[in-house]
Amino acid sequence: MLLRNVFLKSLRDLRWPSFWTGLGMAVLGFYFMWLYPTFGKQLDLQAMVDAFPPAIKALVGGSLIDLSSPEGFLNMELFPLMLPLILGGFAMAVASGATAGEESRGTLDVLLAAPIGRLPVLVEKVAAIVLATVAVAVCLFVAIWGGAAFTGTALALDKVAAAVALATLLALAFGALTLAIAAFTGERAVALGIAGAVLVVTYFVNALAPMVDALDRIRGLSPFYYYIGSDPVRNGLDVGHAAILGALAVTLFVVALVAFERRDLTA
Amino acid sequence: MTTLVGQPVISTTSLTKSYGRSRGIIDVDLEVRAGEVFGFLGPNGAGKTTTIRLLLDLIRPTRGSARVFGLDVHGERIAIHRRVSYLSGELSLWGDLTGAQLLTYLANLRGGVDPAEIRRLSERLQVELDRRFKTLSRGNKQKIGLVAAFMARPELVILDEPTSGLDPIVQQEFERLVEEVRADGRTVFLSSHILPEVEHLCDRVGIIREGRLVTVEAVAELKRRALRRLELDFAAAVPPDPFRAVPGVRDVEVHEGVVRCTVQGSLDALVKLAARYEVIDLHVVETSLEEIFLAYYGEEMNGHAAA
Repeated sequence: MLLRNVFLKSLRDLRWPSFWTGLGMAVLGFYFMWLYPTFGKQLDLQAMVDAFPPAIKALVGGSLIDLSSPEGFLNMELFPLMLPLILGGFAMAVASGATAGEESRGTLDVLLAAPIGRLPVLVEKVAAIVLATVAVAVCLFVAIWGGAAFTGTALALDKVAAAVALATLLALAFGALTLAIAAFTGERAVALGIAGAVLVVTYFVNALAPMVDALDRIRGLSPFYYYIGSDPVRNGLDVGHAAILGALAVTLFVVALVAFERRDLTA
Repeated sequence: MTTLVGQPVISTTSLTKSYGRSRGIIDVDLEVRAGEVFGFLGPNGAGKTTTIRLLLDLIRPTRGSARVFGLDVHGERIAIHRRVSYLSGELSLWGDLTGAQLLTYLANLRGGVDPAEIRRLSERLQVELDRRFKTLSRGNKQKIGLVAAFMARPELVILDEPTSGLDPIVQQEFERLVEEVRADGRTVFLSSHILPEVEHLCDRVGIIREGRLVTVEAVAELKRRALRRLELDFAAAVPPDPFRAVPGVRDVEVHEGVVRCTVQGSLDALVKLAARYEVIDLHVVETSLEEIFLAYYGEEMNGHAAA
């Protein structure tokens, strides 16, 4: 019964957004793996990419692009921008709804008038969001796996898994940022707007760092660096970077908890 | 464990919430006793909802304190909320759930409610349980809110503007529910901006105006003090002077056989005077909250003048 507690109710609320995003991710993952043999064999994409101006090349994946391998192909098409945008966007959207969405609809008053503390409410909601985000990421991974098997492409699945795992941590960090802003302001649009702006800015800081010295010096401030900087699709999981992303997500979650516990809820 | 009748259920001390310039409440000292139905009255924006949300720890006071069942509303909120139910005036519930699902979820959040009680209340109020909440009319939404507020049989029921927009049949059923809570020795705290809608339900009322609790009185006392506007129609022209001379009667206007006036307190002297003439009709205009305020402040000012 999905109305047993706040966690299950939150999962119930997330079931359709998760289903559609997961389906979209699966289609995307399968499509790229299905596309790769055609592109890789018939077009000399590498020459085309090498001819890009350096700034453009940096934005689509920079030195990570190596189209002679399916990993390099995914590095250009999926991992640098599209995956963080979709998975991060999903986590941010559902995180903004968790408290601020209920607050603007007035249902948070009803929930918190029940004999349940603010902290457990937020913890249960976040548990549901984490589960939904992981589920969407798993859909992508399984589809890439299936696509590779279907086309007979040799792919280092452990390394793809590492990249998807880092993307999930990145998405959760941005979700936690959204949650924290929503907990401070109670405004869904404000939370989404600010967190979205931070995502875009930190993406560019990391992507353009190789060409701009000033950005290179602050690259370590961008969560994107800890996601893609170690080139996980080729090198596997960088545990240190994963730990930094995880710590960032947890810290922002704690900030959200403290803010939510203290704030006056808007009527 | 039920609080003994007469013991304080809600008590606030200098409870203050400031929001910039005009809203909020100032130095509210309120005591609601176990077993009573307490009406919290005031115009819209006077601070009724702010007070209720402070009692529920949804917002925090700027200063002062509030206790429910003798427990601190912030530090011991979960222990309090187990014994309290709350119906918000806005009726904001999860719109994609059906009535039955909403009541199940709300019951689960409390750790379970006797399903027989939910069934009994739903039948009494003729709630539409199978439709999504957002597709229901306002009246039907309110019925679900009422079931939710009463189903757990809590020691204290807090209702924010429960009567606004209820149809007369539901209003009657609502009044019976409140009576049952009182008969059980449990407590009801309800807010309203319309005194006649709640006066026959309440034992005592507190009146809040511009954030300040101006008076707490037994309903009978309040009515005794209240102003009533009367119109008396006589068969023939009547002399105005005897009417102007009746104690407690003001604003006398006489046009031929029609006398209009305002009476504070007992109508006895006025009715006895009127009985000397042939009375055709008598209208008493319902007392509005504003008029009670006028009476209250009028007396306060007289008091100052005499001192």
